Amino acid sequence: MSYTLQWGVAFDYLPYFLGGALVTLHLTFLGFLAGLIIGITTAVAQVYGSPLMQRTANIYVVFFTNTPSLVTAFFIFFGLPEFGILLSPYLCILINLALNAGAFLADVFRSGIQSVKTTEMEAAEIMGFSLFQKVQYVIAPHIAKTLYPPISNLYIIFILGSALASIFGVEELTGRAFNVDSETFRSIEIYTIAATIYVLMTFAASFALALVGRYVFRVKARMF
Amino acid sequence: MTQLEINGLFAEYSPSLPILEDVSLKIETGEIISIIGPSGSGKSTILRVLVGLLHPSQGHVIVNGTEVNYKSPSALKSMRDTMAMVFQQFNLFQNMSVLRNVMIAPLKIKKEPEAEVEARAKEYLEIMGLGEKFDAYPDQLSGGQQQRVALARALALRPKILLLDEVTSALDPEMVNEVLDAIRVLSTKGITLIIVSHEMAFVREVSDRVIMMDDGKVVEIGTPDEIFTAAKTQRCRDFISNIIQH
Ligand SMILES: Nc1ncnc2c1ncn2[C@@H]1O[C@H](COP(=O)(O)OP(=O)(O)OP(=O)(O)O)[C@@H](O)[C@H]1O
Ligand SMILES: [Mg+2]
Repeated sequence: MSYTLQWGVAFDYLPYFLGGALVTLHLTFLGFLAGLIIGITTAVAQVYGSPLMQRTANIYVVFFTNTPSLVTAFFIFFGLPEFGILLSPYLCILINLALNAGAFLADVFRSGIQSVKTTEMEAAEIMGFSLFQKVQYVIAPHIAKTLYPPISNLYIIFILGSALASIFGVEELTGRAFNVDSETFRSIEIYTIAATIYVLMTFAASFALALVGRYVFRVKARMF
Repeated sequence: MTQLEINGLFAEYSPSLPILEDVSLKIETGEIISIIGPSGSGKSTILRVLVGLLHPSQGHVIVNGTEVNYKSPSALKSMRDTMAMVFQQFNLFQNMSVLRNVMIAPLKIKKEPEAEVEARAKEYLEIMGLGEKFDAYPDQLSGGQQQRVALARALALRPKILLLDEVTSALDPEMVNEVLDAIRVLSTKGITLIIVSHEMAFVREVSDRVIMMDDGKVVEIGTPDEIFTAAKTQRCRDFISNIIQH
């Protein structure tokens, strides 16, 4: 093998990588948070909306769950400027993440809404809850509890999927690894470090999510 | 004063399959009415129409002199403001503690002051023998305890009319009397009670009038003594003698 590992060069860039990891974290966190709001709104529209709202919501979900997120990212990246909307690559990717997460979460939420006991919904109905109050006090907590584990898993998948942002010049972890690689050509060392940081990030995220689940939603999730 | 009037009511869950057929009755303020009758006779269905979970296909429901327009959300809302209902099945909010279950509607829907709501909620829970269970969740309670939480939750809304749909049928025998006692206390407070129950001794004791239903129709209405000892219809006499033998 002609390639000799030289860790020193790669490690010099560790703070730069960690900075990239931070970008990955806030990008996915904000994107997923927006996705949660989009997802629950879409699911409520699908279940309780007027026929027009139901149809619109269905088209959105079908489109985003059946298109590679790389393709929708290109769509947003090159499509929005055509409408005079000029956004930074970071914002484009954030929107793409939010819309993709929203569609996948809508599917999860819809089944969650349909699994709320009718007796609970009837009790809320006759006590005078509005639709919004039912969502707030009955549906959302129910979803949070029963769907917390699959939603957590989805979040982990989105952390990993956010690497595609590098293609659009967003300097998150993968993007920065790519930058350093093209300067130093220490590919194996650099991507080993990047991969390790990804593993640590997803472990930390799983652990944090399990803790939140256990104490906030009374979900008996495994920590690992 | 007539508080609630039902006139020629028809109701169905699926078209062309009428469950209630031409039901009419009048209930006075503060009256205690029991509805008895065999399983499937439509007792729960009447209560569901009264709280607007099911809309009548024909007929009128008149609350405090105003006919309820089931198509108007605000009319439904004001009807529901006067009523509370406890169901046959447990219908607590599973994600909320016992105390929260009782407080949620007065606090968030009726926007009453929190301290007042909390004091009242605790008082009703204590009446129901649940003083130790404020922080428990429904899935940590027995069926009987859950049903008593549901009763406290209904009371905390301070309804003018309280609808009880077989609230004791899921209780442990020793809890039945405790809940019946609580209902007896209520019965002296001037709140109108509509009770669906198979507890015939209790029905006979507390009711001002008893309504016997069969197959979606009112068979007979009378005082407890009339219904239990001198029913006019054969159907009612058969039902009573059957139930008393069991
Ligand atoms: N959600 C529903 N959908 C369709 N049919 C229903 C529904 N609920 C009740 N029914 C039917 O309506 C009829 C009356 O039911 P209801 O629940 O009012 O009877 P009930 O007198 O309360 O009986 P029980 O003593 O068993 O509670 C029954 O034939 C029942 O099968
Ligand atoms: Mg019933």
